[in-house]
Amino acid sequence: MTPGPRSRTARADPVAGALSGMPDGVRGDVRVIERTWTTIRFANGRIHQPHFERSTHVSFRVADGQRLGTATSVDDTAAGLVSVRDSARSLARIAPAEKKFPGFPSGSGRDRTPVDFSDSTAELSPEKATQIAEEVLAAAREGAPGARIAGVVIVGSERRRVANSSGLDRTDAFSSAQASVLVDRPDRDPPVSGWSEGGHWDHRRLDAARLGTEAAERMARSDPEPVEPGEYAVVLRGPAMAEALTFLANLGFAGLGELEGWSCLRRFRGRRVAPESVHLVDDPRSSATIPFAIDQEGMWTHRFPLLDHGIAGPAVTDLVTAGRLGRAPTGHALPPEAPWGAFGAEPVRLILAPGSASEEELIRTVRRGLLVTRFHYVRIVDLGRGIITGMTRDGTYRIENGEIAAPVRNLRFTESLLTLLKGILLLGKETRAYPLERAVSTVTTPSAAVKSFRFTSATLF
Amino acid sequence: MEDLVRTALAVAEAAGVRYADARVVSPARTLHYDVRNGQAQALTDARSESVGVRVRTDRAWGFAGTTELTPAAVRQTARVAIRLARAAGTSVDAKLVVTEEGTARDGRYATPLAQDPFDVPGEEIVRLLRGAEARLHATREVKSGNASFQAWEETKWFGSTEGASYTSRIVSVGAGVSATAIRGSNVQRRSGPTSFGGDYHQAGFEYIEGLRLSDRAEVVGREASALLDAPACPTGSTTLVLGSDQLALQVHESVGHAVELDRIQGSEAGFAGTSWVASSGIGTLRYGSDAMNVVADATEPGGLGTFGWDDEGVPGQRTPIIERGTLVGALSSRESAAELGLARSGGTMRAGGGDRSPLVRMTNVDLLPGDHSLAELLTGVREGVYVETNRSWSIDDKRLNFQFGCEVGRRIVKGELGELVRNPIYAGMGPTFWSSMDAVGDASTWHLWGVPNCGKGQPVQIARVGHGAPIARFRDVAVRGGG
Repeated sequence: MTPGPRSRTARADPVAGALSGMPDGVRGDVRVIERTWTTIRFANGRIHQPHFERSTHVSFRVADGQRLGTATSVDDTAAGLVSVRDSARSLARIAPAEKKFPGFPSGSGRDRTPVDFSDSTAELSPEKATQIAEEVLAAAREGAPGARIAGVVIVGSERRRVANSSGLDRTDAFSSAQASVLVDRPDRDPPVSGWSEGGHWDHRRLDAARLGTEAAERMARSDPEPVEPGEYAVVLRGPAMAEALTFLANLGFAGLGELEGWSCLRRFRGRRVAPESVHLVDDPRSSATIPFAIDQEGMWTHRFPLLDHGIAGPAVTDLVTAGRLGRAPTGHALPPEAPWGAFGAEPVRLILAPGSASEEELIRTVRRGLLVTRFHYVRIVDLGRGIITGMTRDGTYRIENGEIAAPVRNLRFTESLLTLLKGILLLGKETRAYPLERAVSTVTTPSAAVKSFRFTSATLF
Repeated sequence: MEDLVRTALAVAEAAGVRYADARVVSPARTLHYDVRNGQAQALTDARSESVGVRVRTDRAWGFAGTTELTPAAVRQTARVAIRLARAAGTSVDAKLVVTEEGTARDGRYATPLAQDPFDVPGEEIVRLLRGAEARLHATREVKSGNASFQAWEETKWFGSTEGASYTSRIVSVGAGVSATAIRGSNVQRRSGPTSFGGDYHQAGFEYIEGLRLSDRAEVVGREASALLDAPACPTGSTTLVLGSDQLALQVHESVGHAVELDRIQGSEAGFAGTSWVASSGIGTLRYGSDAMNVVADATEPGGLGTFGWDDEGVPGQRTPIIERGTLVGALSSRESAAELGLARSGGTMRAGGGDRSPLVRMTNVDLLPGDHSLAELLTGVREGVYVETNRSWSIDDKRLNFQFGCEVGRRIVKGELGELVRNPIYAGMGPTFWSSMDAVGDASTWHLWGVPNCGKGQPVQIARVGHGAPIARFRDVAVRGGG
C-alpha cells in the first residue's frame, strides 16, 4: 500500500518551508520524486547491461501573479528547495501572463483509498532482479533451442510528494516490474523472431517464464513468405494494440490537441467512433495497471471514460490546459517542466475492456488477413486525421480461412486510428498490462480482430 | 568532484574488479523556453548532478548511478555496480574482452563560446521568442504558433582504474519556430530553420542570434497557411531532391543507426533493433552510389556530437564510414571493436547523463558534399519533387524499409522549382535508395544540423548528435501525398 499522508510543519519540513516563504501574490507547487530502478538488459543470450539508479528529482513551479515558471533540481534539502524555488520565480517574472490560470487546488476533501503497491517490488535487490532475467532466458532457451535471446527486466518504484501553497500536500508511490523478450534466429534467411512482454505492479505476479516461452512460441518455424501490401483484416496481439492506443491517447485525448485544434477526435466528441464493445478508460487507480493515486499537480486520479462503449469522450486536462479551455482540470497533469510541460495533459493509464474471445477465436473471424504481434517505430503521419505509420515485427503471420497459414515477412502500415477503432470486430478475453519503460505510461489491453488495416510497403525479412 | 571519482575507483579497486570508470556530471543544466500563442507553455531551468560508476569483471559489466553526490552515496553506488556485475557474470562462460587504449591523462575540453547562453538575461530570450512567435500568425488559419529555445550545459569529470582522467564542459544551444494552420481535418505545420525545435549547435548564444528567428517566422506562418490550399503531392515513382535538413535525418536513420556496431552485434536487438549490415561487410559492402561519402567526426567544430574524449576515455576522432559507396567503417566502443577484432575503439561511447551507462552513439555522422550547385541538381529533372523539413519518420528494426513525411514539397518541372505540394511522403529500402543518389550538392548546399533527441538504450537515454548534409538528388523514388 502507498505511504499515508504526512503531517508536516514549515519549520521541520523543507517543502512546507519553501512554499510558505514566498511573498504575497506569489504561489507555487512542488514535486519531490524519489526513484529507484534496476534494469537488467540481456542480449546474445547473456546479461549484458545491468543498471541500477537511485535518484531524487525536485520540480518547483511558481505563479508570480499569473506568470508561471518552473525549475528543477536533484536537491531536496531546505537550501536546495529555496534555491530551486527562486530559480522558478526568476523565470515566472519574465513569463507572459497565463491569464486564465485557475490557481492551485486546495488539499481539502476526503483522502481516497490507497492504491496497490508492492514493497517487495520496490525493494527488490539487484540479485533478485537478475534472477528474474535468468528465468526469462531459461524459458526462452528451452522453447527455442539455438536461438538468440535479448530483452530486459525493469523493476523499481517511484515515490512522489506533491504540495502547493494552497494547502495541498499529498504523497503517492507506484511499484512496477516489467519484462520483454525477443527470440530470434539471425542465421536464417530471412531471419525470424518472436516477442513477448508484460508488466505488473507486483514482481511476484510477473510470470517471467511465461514471457520467455511465449516469445519462443511466436517465432516462426518455417521461412516467412513475402506478402503484397494492401488492405487486410488483422488480429492485433496485445503489444500491437498497446502501441496503437498509446498514440490514440496523444492524438485523440491530449488537452493540447483539443486546445489547438489538431486532435483527431475533436470533431467527434460525444459521437460513436467505435463499436459498443470498445470501452476504453483511463484508470490510474485500477489494479489492472501500474496504479498511482495522484497526478503531477496532486489531483486525485480517478476512472475517466475515453471511449464510453464506443462513444468518444472529452480530452483530458491539467490546470493550465483546463484554464485555457475554460473547463475543470481532469487530474491528468504531466510534470510542468519541459519537455513534459510542452505536451500538456495526457492519459497515461489506459485500460481497454476485454471481450470474450480466445486468440484462436479472434483468428477464426478472419477469412484472409494477418496476425500481428507487435509494431515498431510508430510515428504520426497526419495529426488531423490520426494517421500513423510503423512496421510489423517479431511474429507476423498470414491468416487464411480462420487459421494461421504461414509466417510472412514484415510490412509497413499507414493507417488512421479512426479506421482502426471503427473496424474493431472482436476483443480477446485475456488482458495484460504493457508498461512503457518505468511505467511512465501503461496500456492494459486484450488482443483484437480488426476489419481492415492498410499496409503500404514491405521489407525484406 | 575529482575526489568523488577517486572514491568510486578506490571501492572498485579494493573489490578486485578488472576495470572501473566513474563520471561525475555537475552541473547538467537545461534551459528550455517554449512560447505558444503568446503564452509560456513551458519556461524551465533544469539543473541536476549525478555520478555513475561502471565496473567490469572478467565476464560482465555492472553500472550504478545516483544523484546524491556524497562520498557515502558514491561508495554505496560503486558497491551496487560491483554486485550487479558479479550477479550477471555467474551464468556467463565467455570472458569479456576490450581494446587496449592510450587513454586521456588530465585532459581538458571545453566548447568555444563567444557568449555563454547561461549568462544571457532570460528577459532577452523570452522577448526574442515572443516577437518571433507573434509573427508566425501571418493569417487567421494559423491556429498555433510556437517559438522555442534550448541551451544545455554538461560539465563532467571522468576517471578510470587505468589512469585515464579528463574534464569537459560542453555547451549547446538551439532555437526554432513553427506554425500550425488548421482547416477541418487538414492540419499543416511548417517550421524553421527545421522541425524538432529548430537548429542546434555546440556553441554560445551567438548561434541563436544568427538564426534570425523573427525574420523566418512570417515566412513560416505564410507557408503553413499556403499548404492548406496546396494540392497533395503527386503519387508515383519520380526524381526526388531532398533538402539538407531532411537528408540529415535520412542519414541519421538509415546510415547512422545502421552502422552502430552494438546493433550490428545484437546488443540492442531487444529494443532498438539490429542492422541489415553485417560486420563482415565492412570493407566490401556496397551501401550506395559512388557519390556517397560518409564520415563520423567527433572533432568537427560546432557539432552536437563533438567532444574531447568519450565516456570510456577514448579520444574523439574522425572515422570514415562510407567511401565512394562502399562501407569502410562503423561506430564502435572498446568492447564492440574488440569483438570485431579491431585494435582500437572508434571512441563513440557516450552516456545521456552521469547516471546512465554509456552506449555506442553517433557523433557527427556527415554525408560529405559533392560538386553540384542547387541549379545543377535541378537541371535535367524534367519532372520530380523537392521536399524539406521532416514531419514523420519511421524505419524498420534492421534499418532497411523507411518512410518519411515532410512538411513541404515543391514540384520540379523542367529543371525549375514549381508549385507547393502538401503532405509529401517518400519511402524506400536503404541500399536501393542510396544507390539511386546520382548527384550531391556542393558545400554551398551543405549544413551541419543538430539532432537533440536521439533515443537509445534501456533505461532510455537521449543523445545529441550532429549531421552535416547537402542537398542531393535521387532517381526513381516512390513518392505520394497524404497518408
